[in-house]
Amino acid sequence: MAAVRDVVIIGGGVNGLVTAFYLARAGRKPLVLESRPVVGGAAVTAEFYPGFRGPILAHAGGPLLPQIERDLQLEKHGLSVVEPEICVFAPSPDGCGLLLRRDAKETARGIAQFSARDAEKYVEFSALLARYGALLRQLLSLTPPVIAKPGSEDLWNLFRFGRNMRGLGKKDMMRLLRYGPMAVADFVAEFFETELLRAVIAARGVLGSAMGPWSAGSTAHLLLQAATDSHPARAPWFPRGGMGALSDAIAAAARAAGAEIRCDAAVEKIIAKDDVATGVVLKGGEEISAEAVVSSADPRRTFLELCDPSYLGPDFLVKIQHFRGKGTLAKVNLALDGLPQFTGLVRANGARAAQGSAGAGSENAPAALQGRIHIGPEIDYMERAFDASKYGAFSPHPWLDITIPSLADVSLALAGKHVMSIYAQYAPYKLKDGDWATRGDEFLKTVINTLAEYAPDVPQRVLGAQLITPVDMEKEWGMTGGHIFHGELSLDQLFTMRPLIGWARYRTPVRGLYLCGSGTHPGTGLNGASGANAAREILKDSAG
Amino acid sequence: MSAADFLDQWFETDVLKATMSASGIIGTFLGVRSPGTAYVLLHHYMGEIDGAFRAWGFSRGGTGAISNAIAAAAREAGAEIRTQAGVERILVQNGRAIGVVLEGGEEIRAEVVSSSIDPRMTFEKMIGERELPGDFMEEVRRYKYRGSSGKVNLALDGLPEFAAIPGTGRHLRGAISVSPAVDYMERAYDQAKYGEFSRRPYIDMVIPTLTDPSLAPPGKHVLSCFVQYAPYNLKEGTWDDKRDEFGDTVVDTIAEYAPNIRSLIIGRQVLTPLDIERSVGLSEGNIFQGELSLEQLFFLRPMAGWARYRTPIRRLYLSGSATHPGGGIMGAPGRLAALEILKDIGK
Repeated sequence: MAAVRDVVIIGGGVNGLVTAFYLARAGRKPLVLESRPVVGGAAVTAEFYPGFRGPILAHAGGPLLPQIERDLQLEKHGLSVVEPEICVFAPSPDGCGLLLRRDAKETARGIAQFSARDAEKYVEFSALLARYGALLRQLLSLTPPVIAKPGSEDLWNLFRFGRNMRGLGKKDMMRLLRYGPMAVADFVAEFFETELLRAVIAARGVLGSAMGPWSAGSTAHLLLQAATDSHPARAPWFPRGGMGALSDAIAAAARAAGAEIRCDAAVEKIIAKDDVATGVVLKGGEEISAEAVVSSADPRRTFLELCDPSYLGPDFLVKIQHFRGKGTLAKVNLALDGLPQFTGLVRANGARAAQGSAGAGSENAPAALQGRIHIGPEIDYMERAFDASKYGAFSPHPWLDITIPSLADVSLALAGKHVMSIYAQYAPYKLKDGDWATRGDEFLKTVINTLAEYAPDVPQRVLGAQLITPVDMEKEWGMTGGHIFHGELSLDQLFTMRPLIGWARYRTPVRGLYLCGSGTHPGTGLNGASGANAAREILKDSAG
Repeated sequence: MSAADFLDQWFETDVLKATMSASGIIGTFLGVRSPGTAYVLLHHYMGEIDGAFRAWGFSRGGTGAISNAIAAAAREAGAEIRTQAGVERILVQNGRAIGVVLEGGEEIRAEVVSSSIDPRMTFEKMIGERELPGDFMEEVRRYKYRGSSGKVNLALDGLPEFAAIPGTGRHLRGAISVSPAVDYMERAYDQAKYGEFSRRPYIDMVIPTLTDPSLAPPGKHVLSCFVQYAPYNLKEGTWDDKRDEFGDTVVDTIAEYAPNIRSLIIGRQVLTPLDIERSVGLSEGNIFQGELSLEQLFFLRPMAGWARYRTPIRRLYLSGSATHPGGGIMGAPGRLAALEILKDIGK
């Protein structure tokens, strides 16, 4: 058997790679084991139809936390980011549309065509979200404190956070406490009267989640997302070349710092002796011994699949079995023979402004379509989409969140052709009637037909299509339940309770085994925070 | 966490989970799968009867008998109680409550005014926004009521027979819950979300005449049905037009379980949330004076910064279900408010 490795990291997704970087930078010798042929996990770019490459799973992520971005120096490692001026285009079924821009005041001018009151409120809302985002951002890079017996560092961090919270002023602070547990539908209704605007903003509170806009606590989800990007509807942050380019750059940074990365190396078992992790066994039988094992896989996979139950004890196992995470999001990638024509774009608010700068008619389309396209015109539409999933059916009219990455990077498709990347929600992990293997095509058709209501030429432009259901995400990417955040971001599974109360500090009941994936705090997407926090805790243990 | 998720951790039998989940939604505008309903479920286990924690009970003579007993205790302690004395207005002078005016014009001066009605009725109806800070009124208007339940009282010629357990035995003496499946409960909620009453509602029934026969003529019975969901705001039509249709829906639903019910009905009273608002003065017919959702509980009930029974008006207090810990017939808000009032007046 080969020499004992220092640290092995299970999974080469964004969090696993970020952990590897920080460990390597501190002089450790991490070995990353990725089961797929490429690094990146959910953030990968690949060919899905001859001549068409795209962000296979995640199509928007980040931004990385500023500190992580500075530490990794990703531009140096080949990352180039596109940040389109128009963030969201949201068509409505009556042929109108809403454009949300990066700048709040400019956006407000467009919203004024729908409602003068909303235009005014939008500026106020943007500012409020920016204040809350800045405050909550501090939480993202904290290790959740031990509530029963906080240490001095915990107390200091909580004190600092409390002080900053008071800095919001009494009114904002009280409002924040009230907003958190609210349904996001109520939250947006406190500000806006335009249904389309409400729906666009509320959408972020339910992304990837088994919640609808009327579910309590969806506002907390939205506010946590605002901690990495406080634009009311997210400001797109697209790596040129798709999300895979982000992963490649992080991997390059980790390698440069001294990490080793192996692809096609699927871990089958974690081994422990006397409650201490001693290494892993790969599929095929290869055994790798290590001083420490770090898993970026989700908690249920880590503890229920990779660990022997005898390591953990029945109480812990029962709690992990109850960790909730049934995916609701499916991914559709389309190869299109040209740019689709959205009817709502002609009459979209601010379209005149876009025409002014980029010419009339279809000439202005690329600029307006470079951000995300939101299809889900009303809160009730979104909620009805969710209703179906509660009973094990996919939405007959799903909410779609779309990007066209080939607009920013023409090399992704053949000349003149385009790649369309779609998050389609809700597509529950478990269907009541039939299964995804037999009903996938039906859902794909549903997505394309829904899209056609807003861009009628889409069906005839489709050259090829790829559907990735939550079941595929579980099979191919190892995400239990096909949940993109590795587990619901609900109030009872956040911060000191992620994944479990008492086990939110990246350590596990097995000494030398750590978690660093989205199933740990904050776990809110491709921002690297979980990975960086875990690395800090691992280094603390080895220093002590 | 939702009531359904919470119960999933304990049980696998659908009808058991559904019946228990009902405690998570009573009086709320939430479904059994809505996050936060696990709390409401536990909220209903807060009370105790004769030292038995989380016990529920019936009082002989109906819940009115509880009120009468409490009133007797209050009188004995020295309180005076006047009925048919509807308060129309609270008198405020220089930011301080100085008394009330009754319907009919009688004026009663007082050192302290304590209001056990909800914030909307207290501040919007009985005081008016001129006396109150704008920020505060904004919060008062934001406070959510969203009554979601109705009440149907049936006068019966005899006891109903349920297909599941024939006969008229002991099983009729407790609560009878129409809640056959978790999905049934959730679908009932779905319709309410879009402004309709449930076509197949959750019904919680009791037959109080089995505990206290004096409530009806000999051999006759009373069937008291708590029905959810009946949203205060209907998308189409008004409750005045839909009252009978709602009553029919309830009877039809019961008939699916107790087929002889229709032939037994001698009389029927249907109380919609609108009727509850009109007759009892509960805004939007919410039986808890405001939704028991997380953002309206504890230090946020009824609103942030005003959860300590005091109000922006000096010597005016809130002591109803709209204050911590909220609804249910348990008396806690009234007691806690009294303690605060005593602190302030130095007794």
